[in-house]
Amino acid sequence: MSPLAALLSPAHLLAANGLVLPHVNYTAIMPELILLGGMLLLLGISAVSPRHLPTQVYATATAGIGIASLIASLVLWHDVQKGGPFSAVARAVDIDGFATLVLVLCSCVVILGAFFAAGFLEREQVQGVEYYALALISASGAMLMGSANDLILVFLGLEILSIPLYVMAGLDQRRAASGEAAMKYFLLGAFSSAVFVYGIALTYGATGSTNLASIGSFLAQNVVVSNGVLLGGLALLLVGFGFKVAAVPFHMWTPDVYAGSPTPAVGFMAAVAKIGAFGALLRVLFSTFPTLRTSWQPILWALAILTLLLGALVAVVQRDVKRMLAYSSINHAGFILLGVQAGTSRGAEASLYYLFVYSVLVLGTFGVVAVVGGRGDEGHGIERYRGLAHRRPLLAGSMAVLLLAQAGAPFTTGFFSKLYVIEASIAAHSYALATVAMLSAAIATFFYLRLVFAMFGERAGRQASVAVPVAPAGAGAPGGAAGQFPPVGTLPAGPAVASAAGVLTLERAAGLVDPGRAEAAAVADDDAGPVVADADLQVSPWVWVGLALCVGTTVVLGIWPSPLVDFARHATLLF
Amino acid sequence: MGSLDSYLPILFLFVLAFGFTAFSLAASKLLAPQRPTAAKEAPYECGIVPSHEPPQRFPVRFYLVSMIFVIFDIEVIFLFPWAVVYGQLGRFGLVEIIVFAAAVFFSFVYLVSNGALDWGPLKRVQRVVRPIGGRTSQSTVRRIGSSSDEAA
Amino acid sequence: MIHAAFLIPLFPLVGFAVLAPFGRKLGRPLAGWLATAMVAASFVVTVLVFAGLFQRPPADRSFTQHFFTWLSVDHLHVGVGVLVDPLSMTMASFITGVSALIHLYSIGYMEHDEQFPKFFVYLNLFVFSMLMLVLGDNFIVSFFGWEGVGVCSFFLISFWFDRPAAASAGKKAMIYNRIGDAGFLLAIFLVFERTGSVTYTTVFARLGQVGTPSLVAIALLFFLGAAGKSAQIPLYPWLADAMEGPTPVSALIHAATMVTAGVYLMTRINPILHLAPDAAHVVAWVGAGTALLAATIATSQDDIKKVLAYSTVSQLGFMFMAVGVGAYVAAIFLMLTHAFYKALLFLGAGSVIHAMDDEQDLKKMGALAKVMPVTAVTFLIAWLSIAGIPPFSGFWSKGDVLENAWTLTPALWAVGAAAAVLTGYYMGREYALVFLGRRRWVERRPVAAAGPAHGAVPVDADPGAGGARGTASTGSERHHGEEGLHPHDPRWVMRLPLLVLAVLAVFGGFINLPFHPSFVFLERWLDPVVGASLLNHHYSTGQQWAFALVDAAIAVTGAGSAYLLWRRRSDRPELEPRFLAMAWFIDWSFDHLIARPSTALASFTAAVVEGRVIDRAVDGTAGLVRSSGRVLRRIQNGYVRSYALGLVAGVVAIVAFVLSRAGV
Repeated sequence: MSPLAALLSPAHLLAANGLVLPHVNYTAIMPELILLGGMLLLLGISAVSPRHLPTQVYATATAGIGIASLIASLVLWHDVQKGGPFSAVARAVDIDGFATLVLVLCSCVVILGAFFAAGFLEREQVQGVEYYALALISASGAMLMGSANDLILVFLGLEILSIPLYVMAGLDQRRAASGEAAMKYFLLGAFSSAVFVYGIALTYGATGSTNLASIGSFLAQNVVVSNGVLLGGLALLLVGFGFKVAAVPFHMWTPDVYAGSPTPAVGFMAAVAKIGAFGALLRVLFSTFPTLRTSWQPILWALAILTLLLGALVAVVQRDVKRMLAYSSINHAGFILLGVQAGTSRGAEASLYYLFVYSVLVLGTFGVVAVVGGRGDEGHGIERYRGLAHRRPLLAGSMAVLLLAQAGAPFTTGFFSKLYVIEASIAAHSYALATVAMLSAAIATFFYLRLVFAMFGERAGRQASVAVPVAPAGAGAPGGAAGQFPPVGTLPAGPAVASAAGVLTLERAAGLVDPGRAEAAAVADDDAGPVVADADLQVSPWVWVGLALCVGTTVVLGIWPSPLVDFARHATLLF
Repeated sequence: MGSLDSYLPILFLFVLAFGFTAFSLAASKLLAPQRPTAAKEAPYECGIVPSHEPPQRFPVRFYLVSMIFVIFDIEVIFLFPWAVVYGQLGRFGLVEIIVFAAAVFFSFVYLVSNGALDWGPLKRVQRVVRPIGGRTSQSTVRRIGSSSDEAA
Repeated sequence: MIHAAFLIPLFPLVGFAVLAPFGRKLGRPLAGWLATAMVAASFVVTVLVFAGLFQRPPADRSFTQHFFTWLSVDHLHVGVGVLVDPLSMTMASFITGVSALIHLYSIGYMEHDEQFPKFFVYLNLFVFSMLMLVLGDNFIVSFFGWEGVGVCSFFLISFWFDRPAAASAGKKAMIYNRIGDAGFLLAIFLVFERTGSVTYTTVFARLGQVGTPSLVAIALLFFLGAAGKSAQIPLYPWLADAMEGPTPVSALIHAATMVTAGVYLMTRINPILHLAPDAAHVVAWVGAGTALLAATIATSQDDIKKVLAYSTVSQLGFMFMAVGVGAYVAAIFLMLTHAFYKALLFLGAGSVIHAMDDEQDLKKMGALAKVMPVTAVTFLIAWLSIAGIPPFSGFWSKGDVLENAWTLTPALWAVGAAAAVLTGYYMGREYALVFLGRRRWVERRPVAAAGPAHGAVPVDADPGAGGARGTASTGSERHHGEEGLHPHDPRWVMRLPLLVLAVLAVFGGFINLPFHPSFVFLERWLDPVVGASLLNHHYSTGQQWAFALVDAAIAVTGAGSAYLLWRRRSDRPELEPRFLAMAWFIDWSFDHLIARPSTALASFTAAVVEGRVIDRAVDGTAGLVRSSGRVLRRIQNGYVRSYALGLVAGVVAIVAFVLSRAGV
């Protein structure tokens, strides 16, 4: 039997003259279709319109497409909750509570992402449909990963998810860092994809199928005695997912990519990549490999511990907010892994809840970072935030809520998300892991609060001093580099010099300058760089709407968590 | 080992290809007379001596065109097998291939509108990115086309 | 209709939510009217729910309205919901009713204050918290309200925070309340540990599985919480200082809301007290002691509001006495009537203070009855009511308490009776000093710039006692001219609450008349909640008449002696001994015995333990985190090749791991 025939299992197919045709249930993939169709429509409109349309038009359209797909997803959710889960498109797509949650979540991310992107692209005067089109494609990929019931489809989703993200990372053509981020992300992403495909191949070799359900039932009915190939396949699959969710030690791309990419794109990619990857990971582990639990649990245990600790520890020493948030997102990935590692439905529920909370938080946070970064998207040193509460109280207030939620403060969704994963972990008797998680949460609180204190604490001096007092925090810079820059801090700074210093600092912090070039850059960068003035801190109404949604959700559902908890609970309904 | 039987022709193909190449090279080495001259050793045997190394930069446009070509290539690769079994696929196949072709077509329209097939001096740039004067943030290399004095 | 119960706390919450951001824009008096309307709406809903509940059969008068589950961990389920039963609705109705009147009064009282909108923000939040406290269907929600009330009281007592006395009074209230809160929290923990639930109905249903020692501990811990909030020995001193807040706040805290919370809590946990009689007796005796102690202090205070403050403490003592002997109905009855006449007293005092241009010293008043007839008459009613002169409401409620105290032991009754005599006396003294006698204020205030005048209160000269603070009235509203005072009755927004409360103070007692079983409305109404643990001792009609006569005699003795002694003279040092004016030196001894040693210990620990041990440990941990971060960041060197290498290393490690487990 050919692989094609194995894929298209006969029960759901029409046989026509020896060729089996899949029955396609279009409602089951309606959210994806809406996103992709909408994307094509946007592309077409942008192509035939005689003049450049303002970015708001695209943002509105994207949000509309997102809402349409949200509605379609909710319809599916309703169907599933009422009529039970079902399998569609030749059993390659599963529509169950779990998949619909991913669909709903992706739709929400598209909508929120459109708001934040609109404000950013408007300020940066970037025209064109590309950002929105890429976001739509990427989200549809994540949806596909969440509802895929076949390893091939998971891989397809993974690629549809990733490739637009590579491009989005490099969308800011004015900054070399952006291109560098895209390149790094692409190279490593391609590498991990290769590993993932190899994992699929090995799994197929061991079980004779790529269909997740078939593999699951095969493993349930047969004992694979020489299971080296199978376990190897599982391990490689885990590596592929680990890369996407930025689990240590597959996280290395994260700080560089997050620091280099355009800021709203970071929020979007952080959210959507984690949704897709965790969605698929949960399904693969829970419905396909539950029998191998004793093998994957220790792996995830180790990954989670490394991820939790490294994310928290390295974030502490960052001075660049985007890098700090990158490590914080690594830390969050560790928390979500906690729920996965538990291997119980309670753990899955906790992970899904966390995923939801995290997506909203990370989008909102990076939305604020994009605003504070100022024109040119360069001002991401923590000193930019000093005294922000005095200048932009509402903005700083929103940021504070989002950061506190990330830290897990009570009366925010962040509190419950951490509580539930740790609870699930304890219920699964992973005491050491839960302890490490709590420790890392305590460490993580430090750097969130540092930013909050910076915003609400001291008042910033003149704008000129904004970028000055930065210790070179370069990961890329060799240790000796610290010695090169103290003069910068003492310069009687005019705005130009100050921002040049800020840029330099950023460049080192971002680890993007290779050590040899750092010195040349230091010499060459004495003329005007992009000036980041306070006047730049304009918040577009789009961003306000997005922020209001994020903060509102965080606080309201933090005080009244039951709707979201119930949502996550019902979502554990697996096919 | 039975399951590997079906791969035997491929192995045979490999052996054949390798054998043929090896045979050709060896034959030319053994049979052909070896009398090198300076003209024969030159990179181009047209008789004109190159005065400098060939340029290393290609306009990006070359890559764009080649990628568009690849896209259509892929479309054709899909279309051939589809055409072969068109009769059996019926309406389902028709719908699917129309969807596929539409997607490709939209992308193509987008590319054309973006000036991907325009040749010669730039007439229209779809994405207007306001350049920041001077140099880019991360690089000491002046970016071609971005600084004001070099704007096309 | 009863399903509208959720609206009761919602209205003040909406008021708070609207006023907090927009109050400033609404300005005065609109912000005040909005706040008042919200509480009034809440009162209307309460009445409707009350009526709906009344129509149900008695056994069916309790239901829970569950809103949402706030927290669900293991078998700890904390929901947010309201428990509607006769007890909570009785509380809610007088809380919203009296609060609405106080809100209305505040519109007039605070009209010249700069912070007018903010005041109503706090007031609405206060009422919301209080309603959550009484309506909550579990200990956690009640505790939420409990803390909310504490926080709001802090804000309101320190409302004029630019006055050091007000700021420190707020802190004092907060600290005393925290001590009580600790007891409340421990009690909740213990309850949860023993019964596995925090919901009232479930907890009470499972009391059978809890041992008596635990029950005693739980009851006493709850009583600690109640003592903090309701100002019982030894946690009462804050209430006197709380007079630093604006007078409507005093009225709100003392009459309607905060201090009754403790009594409510003890009534709510009546099944526990019933099973732990030892704890109940402690409650009774502490209550009696507080009643007497506070009454003695009240006899010698010179501040018009301090007398009322100690009077409140004393009255609360009576309520706890009733709770302790198991006479929950009597406690609630007294609480109700007390809410009326004490609110009336405070609002009357507020009118006087307002008219006297922020003067609070009794010795500087006098003869105000002629110029402020409405205030004088309503104050008189309140006095007679609190003194227990028949047929005013206080007579019935206090008589009920004393009667029940006799049941336990005549000694308890004797203490209560003594306190009751003093009650009539000190209120009479206050009335006489304010409204009768010579006018002592015209010549005292020729120039307003004479200012707050320390030393104006010769008795309270010791600054450590906090006694002098009451007169340090640098209130923001010094708007009258400099030439003197023109005391007059306040305008209608302040007068209307006085009149309504006066009517209630007169007739409030009729809801629970002792003479015939068909008259005890309140007792029958509360029966579903407290009936099972109620002290069921019924006296014969003759005995009841005897009690009534003795009560009346007590009241007349107290009130009459005060009238005779203070009608003409304002200065009787022999009746105002220094140790009473100084409140038995309790504050002073707390300061010397507890506060100063604690401060010394704190400075020692700050210097030695904190500086040498904790700081180093913390710094060390932080340093460890930071340095490990520094080391770990080296991995991130910016080169894709090393990133890929890391990835490969991960792959190798994981594959090696699985292969080591693989069966070939």
